[in-house]
Amino acid sequence: MKIKKGFILRNVGGECVVVPVGEMSKSFHGMINLNETGSFLWNFFTAEHTADEAVAALLGEYDVAEELARADVERFMETLTKNGFAE
Amino acid sequence: MSEILKIEEVLEKEGKYVGPTVGVSMLPMLKNRRDTIVVRPKTEKLKALDVALYKRGDAYVLHRVLKPTETGYIIRGDNCYSDEIVPEEAVFGVLTEFFRKDVHYYCTDKKYLRYAKRRVKTYKLRRFYLRAKGFVFRVGGKVLRALGLRKKKTNGEKQA
Repeated sequence: MKIKKGFILRNVGGECVVVPVGEMSKSFHGMINLNETGSFLWNFFTAEHTADEAVAALLGEYDVAEELARADVERFMETLTKNGFAE
Repeated sequence: MSEILKIEEVLEKEGKYVGPTVGVSMLPMLKNRRDTIVVRPKTEKLKALDVALYKRGDAYVLHRVLKPTETGYIIRGDNCYSDEIVPEEAVFGVLTEFFRKDVHYYCTDKKYLRYAKRRVKTYKLRRFYLRAKGFVFRVGGKVLRALGLRKKKTNGEKQA
């Protein structure tokens, strides 16, 4: 999975917000607030990766149980797909 | 994630609105659909050089305050050549930060404030330049057509 082009992650006052740019801003009107894990995964999925790779990256970055990391990744990927953010 | 809110509702709910810029009226500071604005709710009367977010009909407008008045503001876009009188109640947000390309600017930065002052101060000069350029093109075109160096526009060309 990979995030479509046309989105940019901005750090505003310590909070991560994704906004559309270019052509994408014509069809997507909104802002996406992400927590720390969300922004990590967003950055990770700007390149093509699988769920297993994302879980491994999350485990490498945070002190978290694998089950929880997998659940987070799956939920994140589902949200990306459902909202049309993934390629 | 699927909840659709108006900008004023986002400001009320989130305390800030982060989004893309649309239009050319704030060039050269903000480029259409490239840069990102951070707007926060208006909590007090805006000052000269603040950039106000307001509504004109159904359209959202982000332009610079030239002068606060008793009932509102005199406002103009950095790339516009006419002033607008905007009532106080139409203004609901103020630009506090923006990302130009990938550089993050705060509207309290000295460098930014110097730019804003310069942009307002040079307005008359820019307007004069624009009018002079238009005059030269109009007169130059007429002269070239009179000398036969440029074809006269046909009706079809005018329509196109």
